Amino acid sequence: MNDVGASGGLASPDDGILLADIGRFLDELDPPPDDLVQRVQFALALEDLDVEVARWERMDNLAGVRGGGTGTITFTVSDLTVMINLTKIGKLHRIDGWLVPAGQYGVEVRVAEHGTSSTTADEGGRFVLDNVPRGTTQILVHLGDVSCRRTVVTPTVVL
Amino acid sequence: MTDVRTAEVDPPWEGLTGAELHAACMQAAREGNRQAMARLVEELTPLVWHVARANGLDRAVAEDVVQTVWLALFSQLGKLRDPKALAAWLITTTRREATHPFGRRLQPVPLSDEVAEAMPSTQPAPEDEAVRADRDRRVWRAFVRLPHRCQELLRLTVLAGRAEYQLVAEALRMPRGSVGPTRGRCLDQMRDLLTSEGGSR
Repeated sequence: MNDVGASGGLASPDDGILLADIGRFLDELDPPPDDLVQRVQFALALEDLDVEVARWERMDNLAGVRGGGTGTITFTVSDLTVMINLTKIGKLHRIDGWLVPAGQYGVEVRVAEHGTSSTTADEGGRFVLDNVPRGTTQILVHLGDVSCRRTVVTPTVVL
Repeated sequence: MTDVRTAEVDPPWEGLTGAELHAACMQAAREGNRQAMARLVEELTPLVWHVARANGLDRAVAEDVVQTVWLALFSQLGKLRDPKALAAWLITTTRREATHPFGRRLQPVPLSDEVAEAMPSTQPAPEDEAVRADRDRRVWRAFVRLPHRCQELLRLTVLAGRAEYQLVAEALRMPRGSVGPTRGRCLDQMRDLLTSEGGSR
């Protein structure tokens, strides 16, 4: 048919060869990132694991946010949306956030190796956290009242 | 094992492997043992990762999905009664997360470019390495052009053939080392893609 055979016998590699190739690719070309397990462990290192998991929304502008230091990101879980605006100030971040629907909920930001900063949103759902160190970051929002507490957490993201 | 340990007693899963290891860790995790959770995460993150990648997620989104899946597992551990069902649960949940329409956009850029670009350039390499790199690039491109279902099945087939992922083989009811009819068809399709790409080069 064609002469691909000359560059490695590709005309009809058998199942075993292709599977071996795929196996090699999984380890060499497409392995999980080195720090992924560590980041999962950090995301799981919560006192109470009775949580709801939010999803980061992938907006086009998010690409610039990861590790870049400035921009707006959004995450959502069932009935809650959290928007975060990051401003880089030296080696630290200022985080301006907005919860929808609004409520005076507790907000925590955990940064790996730097502990936790927390605050409470105002009745308009806005909150500010100054001097947040950069690094692997996870955000928690405590919703509800004493009778019905819910905690929403995000996967970690490197900010 | 002769590695140095703290004075702690060895965990109950010490020395176990495969399905037994996972069952023992699940049991302990249900009782709140964080070390057991950490062990499961360490062992099975590659499985979750490859299912996410097979379903069309770019590497950044796949990282989030891996975390979401683990958080979801440990926040509702009580619901998963049978530790043997762990692999199937991880695979199904990852697949569902990966195709979740909510707030997630599939990347318009084909996966092939992302990884193909990361491959070593053929320029400075000695000749047989260049040939091999070229072949790898074409085989990889054929692989990522397969339907997601095939990519997932083939990735899982490869993992299931490894001792540490015995539970994947069990979840897929896949005898070790065998290539069933569906997998065979996926591989045929991959060969067709390779041939057509080879011809148009």
